Amino acid sequence: MPQPSTDIYLPRQAKVEQIEVENSQISTFVLAFCDRSDNDAFRYQPGQFMLVSMPHCGEAPISISSPPTRPGNIHLSVRQAGKLTTAMHGLRVGDTIGLRGPYGRPFPMEQLEGKDLLFVAGGIGLAPLRAVVNTCLDQRDRFGALTVLYGSRTPSDIAFQSDLGLWRKQGMDCRLTVDAAEPGWDGAVGLVTSLLAGLKPELSRSIALICGPPLMFRAVLGKLAAMGFSDEQVLTTMERHMKCGVGICRHCHMDGKLACVDGPVFSLAELRRLKIMELDG
Amino acid sequence: MPHASATTSSHLLKKDHLKGFLRKLAKEYRLVAPVRNRHNDVLFTVIDDLDAAEIELGEPPQNSLKQFFLPQQERLYSYTNTPDGYDFRPTQTTIPPTVYFGVHPCDLSAVLYMDVVFSRRQRDPFYLRRRQGSVLIGVNCNSPAPNCFCNATGSGPFLEMGSDLQLTDLGDRFLVEIGRAPGHALIEHWQGFFSPSGDKDSAARYQAFLEARGRFSRQVHVEQAIRQLEAGTVPEQVWEELSLRCQDCGGCAYLCPTCTCFTISDQQLDATSGQRLRSWDACTFGGFTAMTGGHNPVQAKTSAIRQRFLHKLRDDVRQNGRPSCVGCGRCVSVCFGGTDIVRFVERACQGSL
Repeated sequence: MPQPSTDIYLPRQAKVEQIEVENSQISTFVLAFCDRSDNDAFRYQPGQFMLVSMPHCGEAPISISSPPTRPGNIHLSVRQAGKLTTAMHGLRVGDTIGLRGPYGRPFPMEQLEGKDLLFVAGGIGLAPLRAVVNTCLDQRDRFGALTVLYGSRTPSDIAFQSDLGLWRKQGMDCRLTVDAAEPGWDGAVGLVTSLLAGLKPELSRSIALICGPPLMFRAVLGKLAAMGFSDEQVLTTMERHMKCGVGICRHCHMDGKLACVDGPVFSLAELRRLKIMELDG
Repeated sequence: MPHASATTSSHLLKKDHLKGFLRKLAKEYRLVAPVRNRHNDVLFTVIDDLDAAEIELGEPPQNSLKQFFLPQQERLYSYTNTPDGYDFRPTQTTIPPTVYFGVHPCDLSAVLYMDVVFSRRQRDPFYLRRRQGSVLIGVNCNSPAPNCFCNATGSGPFLEMGSDLQLTDLGDRFLVEIGRAPGHALIEHWQGFFSPSGDKDSAARYQAFLEARGRFSRQVHVEQAIRQLEAGTVPEQVWEELSLRCQDCGGCAYLCPTCTCFTISDQQLDATSGQRLRSWDACTFGGFTAMTGGHNPVQAKTSAIRQRFLHKLRDDVRQNGRPSCVGCGRCVSVCFGGTDIVRFVERACQGSL
């Protein structure tokens, strides 16, 4: 993807237009470049990420959680975890942040056409998949059945509730589970893998898209394999420490691959050829 | 017939004429060369006073040219954060056109490798600004140091291409071969210093090459280690042993002419301003891959040094067809944990030779 600026490290200013609180730790920041022409020229694919600058905090990679079918804004759904993301959670509407990107290899949307898509996510892992789900919903006839399995720690940790509500309204099969119930919760309790047990996917036309913490990832892989999914039918997006975002600084190394340019989206078949912690434990 | 001599591919430069030639160069270029300082260390140095500088071509310099193109720390931007916005201003640095003189084949190979790193996928403006307008005058290596093994990495002791001018020390004179166009222009511009070379000079160069090749005290089986890494047959025990012995000092990466991994960080200057810095980093550091919350995909105890050798001897071979270790031996000299690349190659090849 051509870079509009010749200075590959120079952030561009973007304004916070809206903040949607998803849960106590996750908020979705609705952003637009201050320079209108930057905004009009911005193109990306689901699965790509931005490098976010916050004053005195350096940069961090955040995947884009909005679909390219809804141009004009960039959504970044961010969990408060470190210095930079904590600073982001102090942002107010009208504040300015720095952005560069988009970076990385996106989900192969053409390969997903006509397929039944099974999304399996835990916690903030739904953020990158949200971009795919909404892209599919905006071009509904290009894709088969859409199913979302979403695991959270507790019922009050369930993020993206407004999305989940809209998805259900549009006929999507969305199933939730929590690690620990709270009073009033009559839904499933247990790992997201338990939700897989109730599914009967048409294997010949199914693709699974997974994003979540390493433990969940490994458990889901085992279950999908048992259900008959091949490694080519499983896609995921990897999280790594990153600095440059363009394949030079090498902080995101993954046994010869770099998450920033060779990923962050990989098929399980590609990951199996690498020696990485997510698969080896 | 001055023009005729300028178009032949090799020339002679008498050693008596070297300072005169460099003096001319220094009028139009910033001059960097290996200089012996008062502590008896040889370091690539910016030469302000040519008469006072003791240029040393026979001993490999302790530093490489890396710092001139990728400084240990450089400011990428200054930024301000005020009610008017959060604004980044690029650092404007003017790099004078520079002649790097007396560059050994290992360090020359390293610059050519860095050129690939900083322009293959994306053009890195900060590196390229320093690199553009630089002239590389190499000198073939007649006297490899005890830790040198460029003969095993395909980057020395003599180079056929890559520099703008390539010198070979033939005793009382240098044989000067033209590499690239800027070198040709230098010869043409200052042709008074040069005379045509003959067959006996080429023969002397070959003789010098044969003698240099015989002066390596180490035999390092780099090719064998490359095959082992590609085949995945280096025992886990080797990685674990060497990782445990790595003292996490980063000395190897800092001295290495091809270690180009960097980090980017912000330095706050006051309430509303700061600067974004790029600094050398090392993949052997425990924090290199650590993510927010303490999660680290690299287990330091068993894998700290894994990436270093896989990158240089496997991944770069896949990418560029050759390893990015240039055999300069600096990491061998600096490593007090005994986990340098020569130790790794030896351990990886044990029992398989």
